[in-house]
Amino acid sequence: MSITRVLVANRGEIAVRIIKACRALGIESVAAVSQADKESLPARTADRAVCIGPPRSADSYLKIESIIAAALGTGSNAVHPGYGFLAEKPELAEACAKHGLTFIGPRPENIRQMGNKLLARAAVSEFGIPVVPGSKKVKNLAEASRIAQEIGFPVLCKAAAGGGGRGIKIVADPKQLREAFETAAAEARAAFGDDTLYFERYIPNARHIEVQVLGDRFGNVIHVGERDCSLQRRYQKVIEEAPAPRLSEALREEIRQAAATVARNLHYENAGTVEFIVDQDRGAFYFLEVNTRIQVEHPVTEMITGIDLVQEQIRIADGQPLSLSQSEVRFSGHAIECRITAESPSHGFRPCPGSIVDWRPPEGPSVRVDSHCFSGYVVPPFYDSLLAKLITRGDDRSEAVERMRLALENFTVRGVDTVIPFLRFLLHHPDYTAGKVNTRWLEAQVEQFSHCA
Amino acid sequence: MTEDEVLQILNLIEKSSFDFLQLELGDLKLMVSKSGYIPGTAAGSGIAAAPVARPVMSSTAETKEPVAQAKPARAEAKPIDTGVVEGAVAITAPMVGTFYTAPEPGAAPFVQLGGRVDEDATVGLIEVMKVFNAVKSGAPGVIAKICVENGQFVEYGQTLFLVRPEVVLDNEDPPE
Repeated sequence: MSITRVLVANRGEIAVRIIKACRALGIESVAAVSQADKESLPARTADRAVCIGPPRSADSYLKIESIIAAALGTGSNAVHPGYGFLAEKPELAEACAKHGLTFIGPRPENIRQMGNKLLARAAVSEFGIPVVPGSKKVKNLAEASRIAQEIGFPVLCKAAAGGGGRGIKIVADPKQLREAFETAAAEARAAFGDDTLYFERYIPNARHIEVQVLGDRFGNVIHVGERDCSLQRRYQKVIEEAPAPRLSEALREEIRQAAATVARNLHYENAGTVEFIVDQDRGAFYFLEVNTRIQVEHPVTEMITGIDLVQEQIRIADGQPLSLSQSEVRFSGHAIECRITAESPSHGFRPCPGSIVDWRPPEGPSVRVDSHCFSGYVVPPFYDSLLAKLITRGDDRSEAVERMRLALENFTVRGVDTVIPFLRFLLHHPDYTAGKVNTRWLEAQVEQFSHCA
Repeated sequence: MTEDEVLQILNLIEKSSFDFLQLELGDLKLMVSKSGYIPGTAAGSGIAAAPVARPVMSSTAETKEPVAQAKPARAEAKPIDTGVVEGAVAITAPMVGTFYTAPEPGAAPFVQLGGRVDEDATVGLIEVMKVFNAVKSGAPGVIAKICVENGQFVEYGQTLFLVRPEVVLDNEDPPE
């Protein structure tokens, strides 16, 4: 392996995950940490930690110059961006190349093209994959009005530079159009520096299904199955599982092949995820976007395939061919992931930074906990609220669900509020057990939960 | 308690609905107030004896701004890690990068041990991606210790020099 030392340009559980993968491959790791994370688990477990700046992520984790300086200064020859922060900034991938560092992720042109949702839709349509019916760039309000009428209300107003659920507005009727269009443009300008908007048909009874893909620089592309991420709150995923329940085998195979087609045509290198919306009323699926990074929910795929996706990312970046072919990918059992965040479900999901007095995660042969937390850890207020990912596996879905219920019962966190009580409530809900959900289901449960809490 | 921990506490308090915090750990006392409220002698001897800086934040009292909008707390206390030099303050790296003691190879260093610096004096350069950034002294005084070598990789916040401050300047706030 020519990669010998990896700078981990991220924090929290994913930094810990990357450090573990490096260690398993016999590679050294350097944790790039902000001042607030100097005593964090990644800082302690990496071979070395480097402070790259003050707590605010704009001054540390989002600063490309500091990441490059830290990598060069520590003699690292590769950079793993994790997810979030700079993971989908083509500028980081380019800066790495310029300074002789291997970027552990896709080529910058893929990141750039897929980062713009309009370019991505156009490219994927060319490959013969269905995209959600919608518009090209909407220039002004008059055009917005005409296009919205064509598509039909309610309609989704989306930012071309958005993604991961950010920059989306539902417009219920023509009266809301002006305000939605103008505020969406202002928000997109502020958040992404680009106020290009477009419209998409709103699909009320939808499931969010995404497919993990891997590609190497020799043109080999495989899919590693799909994940169902329909349970979302404010477009943020809460519970994910693999394989997707209640999906016909024909549709499942069609979606998996569509994802592989997208990756193959993009000459995609490294790990990526092709996201789709499944319209349950029409039995149809549409391309949504490509995430050009490792995803938070990657463990559910690992649990049913036995593939270590982060190690695979490093090997691919190192220039090695994929370690397995499509026919060697075997799916076995069912896995579920719950995101344990420091939010108070009984107080409108208010974030709860603070000191974790007692941290006792569940254990067991089919239970996996990816986390950077420990008793005495102080959850800083500067970053997102993810404390841990709790993953269970079963031979079938009901066994995985049963194990998740038990694992949630045996998860003790004191000192900060977490969503564990809400997750317990969801895992016992008959709709969830039956898999009768859509992307709006969880929001309704927030209401239900606050009534009975 | 480290400066980081104090900063973390300040941030937590700022985001919380509490106005006042008093923390005692052994002989260390920390008081933080968002409204300027300090409970007189309530806790006994308290305030005057507190050995650490006491960041009292005064929010713009009668405005209707929500509490969370109050100006972020900043611990002004820089004199951590003064090593063996008593009474010295640290000049720390403002960014991660490669530290240079001189403007170019072979040139005389910006500062030397025992040399006098004023607040705006350039004490070194940090190179980040071919861009050189001047490091300012930040405090007037005499260079008491040089902690890094030319060409060394430095982290954000790493101590570069120790400066023994000169006698109190008349524009400086008297210590509380």
